[in-house]
Amino acid sequence: MAEARAVSPTVATQGTETRNTDIWMRLMLVAFVANGIGPFGLKVLAMRGLADYQSQYLFYWYLGGLVFAVAALLIGRGGVNGREILLGAAMGGCSFAGQSFTAMALAKGLPGHIAFPLTTGGSLFLVALAGIALFKERIGPYGLCGVILGVASLVMLSIA
Amino acid sequence: MTEGYLYTLLALLGFSALGVLHKLADTFKCRPASVNALLYGWSLVFVGITLTLRSGTLVAPGDVPWLAIPFGISASIAILAFQAGVRHGDIATSWLAINLSSGIPTVASILIYHEPVGWKRAIALCLIPVSMSLLWKDKRDAEAKRG
Repeated sequence: MAEARAVSPTVATQGTETRNTDIWMRLMLVAFVANGIGPFGLKVLAMRGLADYQSQYLFYWYLGGLVFAVAALLIGRGGVNGREILLGAAMGGCSFAGQSFTAMALAKGLPGHIAFPLTTGGSLFLVALAGIALFKERIGPYGLCGVILGVASLVMLSIA
Repeated sequence: MTEGYLYTLLALLGFSALGVLHKLADTFKCRPASVNALLYGWSLVFVGITLTLRSGTLVAPGDVPWLAIPFGISASIAILAFQAGVRHGDIATSWLAINLSSGIPTVASILIYHEPVGWKRAIALCLIPVSMSLLWKDKRDAEAKRG
């Protein structure tokens, strides 16, 4: 198995890690589709005339996610350690802060066509910058074009 | 309006830090299932606290929980797949891949609710698969070079 991986053109090692482009692509496609479906519930909520119950919706939305996450954790017979608890808290806090501050910006009258491109496009830019500066990642010419087109697409979707 | 920009800046920092933390979790060899469970656990705590502080109630029409739970499960699947996938790729390209998913609710709104497409939306939606293909091509090239 190790030999098969070593000769595969889609597998490469970076440090002690084994990276596989096909696995990456498959997982990213799952994340892409599932993450796209996730927020669509808010649209359904609004179309059913239940927009006043957004906070309650958000609570049950996270509850559903937690139930699945705990089930996945139990099936995998995994546990949690101190580092994961701290990082999980920081990630939960950042996610919640991002959503809440966007909502507050909109509530203060900032138009959505300014707020959404700034948060989405800006976050893509900052994370790419962090990847290059902090994690020593390298993006090739195709990747760079992909990032530029992706940011352009998201900005256009936000203002359309 | 200035206050609005300040909140936008804070939101930008929040979302960006989230992306960096995903990579940091992988660097520290945190397990994807654990990270996902804790992310959702903590988020639920924060939402619960906010609801309590706003004197909100969990009481809602029966449709609300049954609508929210499956969509929440879908988002949880996304985070689990993303955290597992970051191990095999860079955060810069992975973060873009998951963010591009905002095209899906747009397509769903067009198909299900017959929302107008418009030329800007049409171009933006066409750019998504092109961008994803370029990211995939870049990764294949990079790994072929590494041998």
